[in-house]
Amino acid sequence: MQSSAVVRRQMSLARKDELIGYLFVAPQMIGFLLFVLGPIVAVFLFSTQERNLLSGVVNPVAFANFDTMLQSDRLFPKVLGNSLAFTLGLVPLNLLLSLTLAVLLTRKLRGTLFFRTLFFAPVITSTVAWAIVWRFLLQGEQGINQLLDGVGIDGPNWLREPGWAMASVIVTRVLKTAGLNMIIFMSAIQNIPREYDEAASVDGANARQVFFRITLPQLAPTILVALVLTIIGSLQVFDHILLMTNGGPANSTAVLIYYIWFQAFRVFDIGYASALAVVLFLIVLTATAVQWLLRQRFIYNER
Amino acid sequence: MFVRKSLFVLTLISLAVLTVFGVSAQDTPVTLRYTLWIGADSPQVALFNELAAAYTAEHPNVTVTFESIPFGDYQSVVTLQLAGNDPPDAGWIVEGAARSWVESGVLSDLAPALQGDADYNFDDFSASTLGLWTEGDAVYGVPFSTSPFIVLYNQDLFVEAGVPTPEELIASGEWTWENLAASAKAIADATDSYGLQSNDAALYTGNFWATLIPIMRGFGGDAWSSDNACQFNTPESVAGLQFIHDMIFVDESMVPPGAEVDFFAGAAGMTIGQLSRVNRLATAEFAWSIAPLPEGDGGYQSVVGQAAMVVFNNSQNREAAIDFVRFLTTEENVARIAQFFPPARESVLTSEALLQANPLVPAALMQTAVIDAIQQGRVLPSSAQFPRIELLVRPALDELWVAGADVQAVTDSICEQISPLLAR
Repeated sequence: MQSSAVVRRQMSLARKDELIGYLFVAPQMIGFLLFVLGPIVAVFLFSTQERNLLSGVVNPVAFANFDTMLQSDRLFPKVLGNSLAFTLGLVPLNLLLSLTLAVLLTRKLRGTLFFRTLFFAPVITSTVAWAIVWRFLLQGEQGINQLLDGVGIDGPNWLREPGWAMASVIVTRVLKTAGLNMIIFMSAIQNIPREYDEAASVDGANARQVFFRITLPQLAPTILVALVLTIIGSLQVFDHILLMTNGGPANSTAVLIYYIWFQAFRVFDIGYASALAVVLFLIVLTATAVQWLLRQRFIYNER
Repeated sequence: MFVRKSLFVLTLISLAVLTVFGVSAQDTPVTLRYTLWIGADSPQVALFNELAAAYTAEHPNVTVTFESIPFGDYQSVVTLQLAGNDPPDAGWIVEGAARSWVESGVLSDLAPALQGDADYNFDDFSASTLGLWTEGDAVYGVPFSTSPFIVLYNQDLFVEAGVPTPEELIASGEWTWENLAASAKAIADATDSYGLQSNDAALYTGNFWATLIPIMRGFGGDAWSSDNACQFNTPESVAGLQFIHDMIFVDESMVPPGAEVDFFAGAAGMTIGQLSRVNRLATAEFAWSIAPLPEGDGGYQSVVGQAAMVVFNNSQNREAAIDFVRFLTTEENVARIAQFFPPARESVLTSEALLQANPLVPAALMQTAVIDAIQQGRVLPSSAQFPRIELLVRPALDELWVAGADVQAVTDSICEQISPLLAR
């Protein structure tokens, strides 16, 4: 009798704990369901509809939006190519710059604090201000080109020539965001026990060997995380491009996310924009999955 | 228990009484939300607030709040509010998008209310000014701004370059696009400034229509005809575009792509603009004036931009909103708004008062550059497919903005791309 009462009380205690647990996660879960999962499901649904935001007309069209995208939309392959070029340009440049800065600025040298602040400052600058200032610096005849002119170089019209416009957008974006990865790498470097370096040095390794054999492998998990986040981030760069080039010239900087915005809020074709968003979602998902699988090959503590 | 039950019954009874004897529609407090794209702290919105207060004085149950949405986002924000079932009650719509709005069926027909009011004098709006906003007998918008494109110019730069000002050229009957280009070149050669800047410096990245259409029409061309045939590649349009191209790349007198220059800061001799831009010159540190668009091979072609007031169909307070729009566009109130927005009402347009309406613009110029221009003006092109057309034309034009571009080839390609859309 008594023991079953104890069991019952224990069970009810356990259930009470469980309930409290659920209550604690409820705000987060409700928010997630309502504002993250809901819209994602809606995007998949909308992508199978002809859906005009202005007139409110909604017709189910199954996969017609994807048909249009793959067969008759001449802009889609271009936009996809632009996104690829943007990511391929931005990600290596960003990681290389942030890693180099992190290695240099974790040395015990004079002035590191100043340079840390300097390189982190763009991260907390508003994108709008950043883009507009660069637009002034990258004018055809003024700004940077005036300086180049002084040393006898005839600079290109940075934001108005297709190839240069993409390069300008990439470089200014890297300068804006590299500081964030730099901080992440710096904290990772500082977490590597100094004994490893010292032991290697005692064994006769030079500085280069220490970096490539000790520091870099120790950093690999952090680099992977930074890589995944930077790739995802690069596919979501929108305001920067809108403000600097508005997708031009000749659509050379119109990336997928810009095109989604254009179809949704300029053409008001929410159905087609949703289909494009589904494609972007699948690209990001695939890219992330591939990297996650690759981690087992390249990261020491995953093997 | 009994107390609670009786309270419940009492509530029910009072609800029923309220429903039956109801608060009459006259007294229900109504707040109208009215969207526009001019800054909330502008003199324009201050005037609208005054007019709203006057309306509230007549209809104590109605209050109006004006919501400013930046022009670039205006369409999408209003559209999202409509889609999200939180529509504004009334607001402004600009000409380019007019047909897509009218045909989407989200606007209310204002004709019964406007034509039903004998004092309103609906016939005061000419059929041509209402053209974009009507379908059959239905009227979906009342134009409140019919603003002609004009040339704003920096007199100091003309003097510095030693060339006759547009005013002098008009007097001698030589105010042509060719002479505008010659003056621009003289200014670019003799001063540190450019000769001509596009409308709002937006030719390469923003609203290019406002610069291209006045020039293309001046040469006798157009973007497309009233029956939706593409005209970008006609000899006249090509001549107009070649003219702009030469100014940029041969004369180097027009602000080139990728240069951040501001006429209003004194960095260009002329710009194409509208009356509302004049207010930005109130504090300018140089002498300035305005002129009508010059003549070209196509004669004098006046181009007007238009904006109208509309009421949204699923507004909760549709009747009140329609009545408020009627109130804002009565003869008396249009006359007051006319100091900022050139009127579409014939009676106001021909009134003496309009000549003095804007203190920055002398009466003679108000007559030639604004009033005459409105009476002869044709509205910028509009199409129900406008955003899609813009999506195709903008990148195609980018190929035009390089030295040595083949204007005919570029415009042939534009027509090939947009003709199917125009035909829809």
